[in-house]
Amino acid sequence: MSWLHLGVAVIFEIAVAISAGNARGFTRPGWTAATLVSGAIGTFFLSLALLTFDVGVGYAIWTSVAGVGVVILGALFFGQRLGWQKLLGIALVIGGVVGLRLSGAA
Amino acid sequence: MTTNIETNRNTGNGRAWIMLLLAGAFEIGYALSVAGSKAFTVPGWSISAGLFFLLTLYALSVALRTIDVGIGYAVWAGIGSVGAAVLGSVLLHQALTPVQAAWLAVIIAGVVWLKLADRAGARTDGRRLPG
Repeated sequence: MSWLHLGVAVIFEIAVAISAGNARGFTRPGWTAATLVSGAIGTFFLSLALLTFDVGVGYAIWTSVAGVGVVILGALFFGQRLGWQKLLGIALVIGGVVGLRLSGAA
Repeated sequence: MTTNIETNRNTGNGRAWIMLLLAGAFEIGYALSVAGSKAFTVPGWSISAGLFFLLTLYALSVALRTIDVGIGYAVWAGIGSVGAAVLGSVLLHQALTPVQAAWLAVIIAGVVWLKLADRAGARTDGRRLPG
């Protein structure tokens, strides 16, 4: 079940980012509610997944898949097609997070 | 490649980045509070976790008004991870290994790079540079 939990956690993590982008500083009630509910559900499923996953590996997969998913959805639904400089920066940050988590940091 | 960038993003972009860094800081407070709440059984830490949860998502939402969502998410998650690693090492009295320190440097370099790329992207609008 842990892969299923992790997959659901990733989907809701992506939903947090997309909803927060649409909530425009919490001025849109529907998207604001979607942001908060997605955040709560995502945290819940991540904690379930981390009961069985190694914490470092679980966080690494969760953040990296969500990071890539947000870039793809941002391009599809917001027209935010990023140039190579921005994609390189995102790859550096997400790659760094994966490396840090796999190296056993808290 | 950068044809879809909105115009007039030069103004206020610095403020958006400050909000994004704040969102990352609140995310660190959230992670610490959740850990302290021991699965939400300690009332004080649980309330603190709830407040940081609202603050980090609010600040992220404000930042994403002008920052691309892919960049915003990566920086938000990156700062949260850096903070968790550094504070975890302080609180647990465990020095970071050289490998961990190197990955921290990669994340921070990536965040600085993104900030510079974001500003450059905004600047190219007015000048219509190729690319």
